[in-house]
Amino acid sequence: MECRVLSIQSHVVRGYVGNKSASFPLQLLGFEVDSINSVQFSNHTGYSHWKGQVLTADELHVLYEGIKLNNVHHYDYVLTGYTRDTSFLEMVVDIVQELKRANPNLVSLCDSNLFPQYVPQNLYPVYKNKVVPVADIITPNQFEAEVLAVKEDLVSLLFPASYLCISYTVVITSSDLPSRLGDRFLVSLGSQRHVRPDGSRTTERVRLEVPKVDAVFVGTGDLFAAMLLAWTHHYPNDLKTACEKTFSVMHHVIQRTISYAHELAGPGRRPSPPQLELRMVQSKADIEDPAIVTEATVIS
Amino acid sequence: MECRVLSIQSHVVRGYVGNKSAAFPLQVLGFEVDSINSVQFSNHTGYAHWKGQVLTAEELNVLYDGIKLNNVNHYDYILTGYSRDISFLETVVDIIKELKKANPSLVYVCDPVMGDQGAMYVPENLLPVYKDKVVPLADILTPNQFEAQLLTGRKINTEEDAIEVMDLLHKMGPETVVLTSTDLPSKQGDQFLVALGSQKISKVSDGTNTDQKICMDIPKIDAVFVGTGDLFAAMMLAWTHHHPKDLKTACEKTVSVMHHVIKRTITYAKMAGPGKRPTPAQLELRMVQSKADIENPAIVVEAKLLQKSSH
Repeated sequence: MECRVLSIQSHVVRGYVGNKSASFPLQLLGFEVDSINSVQFSNHTGYSHWKGQVLTADELHVLYEGIKLNNVHHYDYVLTGYTRDTSFLEMVVDIVQELKRANPNLVSLCDSNLFPQYVPQNLYPVYKNKVVPVADIITPNQFEAEVLAVKEDLVSLLFPASYLCISYTVVITSSDLPSRLGDRFLVSLGSQRHVRPDGSRTTERVRLEVPKVDAVFVGTGDLFAAMLLAWTHHYPNDLKTACEKTFSVMHHVIQRTISYAHELAGPGRRPSPPQLELRMVQSKADIEDPAIVTEATVIS
Repeated sequence: MECRVLSIQSHVVRGYVGNKSAAFPLQVLGFEVDSINSVQFSNHTGYAHWKGQVLTAEELNVLYDGIKLNNVNHYDYILTGYSRDISFLETVVDIIKELKKANPSLVYVCDPVMGDQGAMYVPENLLPVYKDKVVPLADILTPNQFEAQLLTGRKINTEEDAIEVMDLLHKMGPETVVLTSTDLPSKQGDQFLVALGSQKISKVSDGTNTDQKICMDIPKIDAVFVGTGDLFAAMMLAWTHHHPKDLKTACEKTVSVMHHVIKRTITYAKMAGPGKRPTPAQLELRMVQSKADIENPAIVVEAKLLQKSSH
C-alpha cells in the first residue's frame, strides 16, 4: 500500500494527543505519515501544568514551502485537528486547497474542536465557511455539528460548498440522542454521500450504539479521526464497516487505558491525567486488526 | 513491559531522521517514547531544499520544566543524537544529570554525532563539550571510527587500535561502546566493513565477568542513507534492553534490523529507473514497511566474540 498522509496537529512531548495520537496508529496500518507539528507542548492542557511553543501561520507556510520546493507535496490524505488560531487555520485551508490542486483525488479529513473553553468563537465562521467546504470527511460531535450545520437535521445536511467532491462523509462521533440500549450507551451517526459516474447520488446512513465510558479522555477524538481515515481508506464504499472498525479500535484502546489507570491510581481513587494517557503502544494488535465489538445499523 | 524513553532529536515533516527515525521502531517494540523535537524541518538537509525552525536552549528548558512540574520526569532511557548548538547540548547535559538524580538506574544512549570519513559536520567547538560533559554521562555510546578517534585523540589502524580506543572510551564513561563502522579491512573482502563492540560491566555483584568484545563484518551498501545512524542508536537501546549482558546478541539484532530496512529501501529506490541515481526523497528509509523486521529481526550478521582482554 502506497498511501501518504499529511497530518497537521499538535505535538506533545509526553502523552497521546494530536500528532502523537494519530501518527503511530496510522503508521502501524502501513500509511506514510508526514507530520507538521502545530505546537510543541510538554503535555496536553488537562494536566496541572503545561509549557511549550506554538507554530505561527508564517512558520507553517515556511515548512510547507520546503515540501513544495522539493516537489514532494503529493499526498493522498490530509488530516487536520485542533487549532486555536484564525490565521493558522486559514493557512491550513490554503494548504489543503493547494494540495487538492496537486492531487485532485486527495481526501481531506478535518476534525473540528469547537468547545468554547478550548477555542475562541471567532473560529466558528472560519470552520463553517472555509474548513468544512474543503473537507471530504468531518467528525464533529453533536455540539460541533449543531454549530456547523446549515439545517436543523443533524444527520444529513452538511454540504460542502464545492459540489466537485465525489464522496462526502460525516460522522457525528457522539450525541445526546437516546440509545435503544439504555442510558449506558450514546448514539453515533454517520452519513456518506457518493456521486455515481452518471451523476446520480447515493447516501449511506448508519447508526451505532456506543458504550459510555466513565472517565474523561484526551486524544481520543484525534485517534478516532485517524482511524476513520484508515478504515474509510480500506472500505471507501462501506461506511458501516469503516465505522465498526473505528469504534471498535476506540473501545479496545479505551478499555485497556481504563484498566491500567485504575491499577495505577489504586482502589477508590480517581486516576490523574498522566495515568489516563491512552495505552497506545500497548494496543498495537487491536489497532492492526480490531475485533468488532460494536455493530452499526444501516438506517434509511 | 513498562519502559519509558526520552528522545531529544530533530523532527522532519517528511522522511526518517532523528525522532522520526527513532520513535516508530521503539514504539513498535513496546517502548513508551516521549520526544522533544530539537528542530522542525520540512525534510533532512540532503534534499535540494530544506526549511524550518530550531528549538533554542531556553525553549528546551521550558519543555523540560513542564514535564518536571507535573512530576513525570521519570525515565528509564534517554536517547540523543545530532546537535549543532553548544548551549543546546549543554542544556541537554543538565537535563540528563537531573533525570539521573531522579532515577539512578537511567541509561543514557548517546550517539556522538560529529562527522564521518575524516570530516566534521558539526561546529568544532562541540568536541570539548562531548569529551568533557556528554560522554562521561553516557552509558551506551555509538560513535563511528572518526568520532571515536576525535574523542580519544587516537588513530585506529588495526583491530588492536580499535580495542584500545574502546577501552579508552570506557574509561571516559560508557560501559557499552559500539564502533558502528570502521575502515579496517574485513576478512570477508572489500564488500564488507568492520564494526566492533565492547561491554565492560563493572558493577557485577556475584563476581562473574560479563565483559564482551565483539566484531562484525557488515555488507557495504552502495548508497548514501540519512537517518540510519539514528535508527541504529534506537535499536541498540531496544536490544541492549532485552539483552543487557549480551552485547553479541544485541548487536546482531540491531545490525540485522538495519540490513532489512536498508535492503527494502534500496529495492524501492530502484524505481528511480535503470541507470538513474535515486534522489534523497526516493532513498528515505522504508520504515513503516519494515515493521515485521523491526519487531522480530531475522539474524543475518553474526558477531564474533574477540578474546577477552585482561584487566
